[in-house]
Amino acid sequence: MNKRLALVIRFCVLTLFVASIAACSPAVTQAPEVTEAPVVTEAILPTDIVSAEAPIDVTLWFHGGSVGESDTLRAQVEDFNASQTKYRMTINEIPGGAAAGSGYNDAVNAAAVAGTLPDLLDFDGPFLFNYAWGGYLTPLDDLIPAELKADIFPSVLDSLKYDGKIYGIGQYDSGLALCGNKAILEEAGVRIPTSVEDAWTFAEFNEVLEKVKGVGGTEYSIDLKMNYGAGEWYSYGFTPVIWGNGGDLIDRSTYQTADGFINGEKTVAAVTWFKSLFDNGYATSTPPDDNEFVNGKAALGWCGHWMTTTYYDALKENFVLIPMPNFGERQATGNGTWVWGITKDSKNPEGAMAFIEFIMKPEEVLRTVTQNGAVPATFSATEQSDLFKKGGRLSIFGEQLARVDIATPRPITPGYPVITSAFYTALDNIIKGADIQTELDAAADKIDKDLQDNSFYPQK
Amino acid sequence: MKKQGYSQDNFFGWLMSSPALLLLTIFVIIPLVMGLGWSFTNKRLISPLPTEYIGLKNYDSILAIKLIPIDPILDENGKPQIDEKGNIQYFRVRDVIRANPKYQDFRLYTEFNAFGNHFGIIAKDPDFYRALINTTLYVLMIVPAIGIISLLLALLVNQRIWGVSIFRVLYFIPSITSISVTSVVWMFLYNPDQGLINQLLQKISFGAFGFSPWLQSADTALLAIILYTIWQASGLFMVIFLGGLQDIPEDTYEAAKIDGANPFQTLLYVVIPQLRNTIIYVVITSSILGFRLFTQVDVMTKGGPEGSTLTLMMHTVNEGFRNQKIGYASAISIVFFIFILILTFTQRKIFKSENVLE
Repeated sequence: MNKRLALVIRFCVLTLFVASIAACSPAVTQAPEVTEAPVVTEAILPTDIVSAEAPIDVTLWFHGGSVGESDTLRAQVEDFNASQTKYRMTINEIPGGAAAGSGYNDAVNAAAVAGTLPDLLDFDGPFLFNYAWGGYLTPLDDLIPAELKADIFPSVLDSLKYDGKIYGIGQYDSGLALCGNKAILEEAGVRIPTSVEDAWTFAEFNEVLEKVKGVGGTEYSIDLKMNYGAGEWYSYGFTPVIWGNGGDLIDRSTYQTADGFINGEKTVAAVTWFKSLFDNGYATSTPPDDNEFVNGKAALGWCGHWMTTTYYDALKENFVLIPMPNFGERQATGNGTWVWGITKDSKNPEGAMAFIEFIMKPEEVLRTVTQNGAVPATFSATEQSDLFKKGGRLSIFGEQLARVDIATPRPITPGYPVITSAFYTALDNIIKGADIQTELDAAADKIDKDLQDNSFYPQK
Repeated sequence: MKKQGYSQDNFFGWLMSSPALLLLTIFVIIPLVMGLGWSFTNKRLISPLPTEYIGLKNYDSILAIKLIPIDPILDENGKPQIDEKGNIQYFRVRDVIRANPKYQDFRLYTEFNAFGNHFGIIAKDPDFYRALINTTLYVLMIVPAIGIISLLLALLVNQRIWGVSIFRVLYFIPSITSISVTSVVWMFLYNPDQGLINQLLQKISFGAFGFSPWLQSADTALLAIILYTIWQASGLFMVIFLGGLQDIPEDTYEAAKIDGANPFQTLLYVVIPQLRNTIIYVVITSSILGFRLFTQVDVMTKGGPEGSTLTLMMHTVNEGFRNQKIGYASAISIVFFIFILILTFTQRKIFKSENVLE
């Protein structure tokens, strides 16, 4: 009995020992396998016929999360495969959004190390600089046909350049504004701005928040989509408040330090105001789900373009898009969105580009933006769009993006992943009650440490 | 003759264990050796910058910690400044660190008052110490809790009552459902305003408790994760205990009954001693489970608020994978490995000495 017991103990100790080693080895999330390419039956068929006919396989990774977006893309892939015989595109949808630490970016990083990246992948705009710096994207300058290049808005194209070269192409740019429930806003007697020129001033916006609270059965004034959780939404959605007050996350003239910027006076003031939205009961930091605005619990919604279709379907003629207000010094909103890039090791960059060309046709761009409410990035699509032309339901988005003094890109540096994670972690802690200055100081230290660790991200 | 048989046994022994040994080598031993090598470099995940040998710098960055006194801010009379609440005003620790080149690279971990003075604890990687303390606390709390609760559950479902297998299945379901899925469900349960748990607490206490922020506050987030894990893991250990219970021969119960033992005495003097091996197994496996805590934290809190649920596994993944510092993360793994090694030997010692006493 005693012997057996000793054996069991030895076994258990060994198990713990082995498990601890396993727990210690650098945890590398396994990259999702690329959907296996159908085997080309070259061996049984006469090779001369097959090599002329068999389509070349091209693989694509896409971030999951939005059912509508992925349905549209799947349909576009099918249509692309049907439209020609030279290439066959396989799509692989990977869960998770943009933030460092969410599934998609982890998968891309893992695949880059393992050398299993697809030919074509999408990524959120500011991550382009990190990917390009890391050296796993291929410059597109020589691949893009001249007409396509001329069709894309120059401001969009500029935002996708690193070190002077184009690394990404997108069908659309993002739109961020306020969504309003017209009936409630009118009941509360507030002025509804109709163009970027007559946006609410800061004082007016604060007044509106107070006035609409509780009107028409609402529980609070504005739905900030806090259910997305600490992640890229905090950085994309809420840094405009900081820019609008004259602050920033990093010193944009040099990109060498965040100290005095992310924790500077103006940023602290902006974050303090933002925190007060929760303390004053204008917003909740713990919405149970995605439907607070649709359910009429809030009169306003902090509104990314991807929500506009859902909101419009729910509210119909009561849906109104309101430009971002002035946040102290100026009006501000974000830009930049998910774009396509071709990987360095791709064996079929031409095939990948053929797909990009296909989805950049005006009808395909419109197909995507009609579904997701984003702003078309090409002249040809904008001309044909009902939503975005002057007076269209979403024209505010386009007006904001056209003004460089309003639409501001997130920091343009390969260090962006650490900047965003430092910021959204700090903001999350602040919302949950931590000291504002201490948290933003810690974020500044984290960013500066990362800059030093990477020799300030030198360009080659 | 005998010798030959022995070596044949030996050969078959190696043959039978070779698949396991091969897998262990590929997935455990080689990564461990690579990790040890990388821990002396500044290797990055993806970067055009070259990897350099940096000696023990990673280990210094992980472990360096200092206690420093913080001076009060003096007014023009040389007396400490007092704020309107009557508290003495101290310099900010961050300013003290930045003013002194000796403290370069250090960051604030925590500050406190003791013996009438103000102190700051500063570390080069405060998150490591946060993670270490959280993980240890977590293991110390879940191991006994899971042990006791799963034993009680096992005793409950070991009764010969009609329909008891339904309960066995019900208690086991959380353990076989994906942690990511149940974590999301528990996030809804923990919602401060509309979550079932707060609503229930409010109803049954007639409004005395009604608002706990659960995952939203640094004070309660770790507790919320612990409660979830107990719910999630108890079913698995219940099944293990159930196996142990059913191994106890019926006649020992009968003997106890004849000797006039009441149910509590039976439990204490018959059941628990017979379950010794099972208990040891449960303690060791649940501590392994505890040290590997990652998934539920990643889904529910991402280590927040204020690092209150950051775990060593999570810190390692964050540094290596998300901040792309593979060299540094490898060093954390090695430190973690040594930490667990010490604990394992301690556990072994404890069980061994008990064995001797028997």
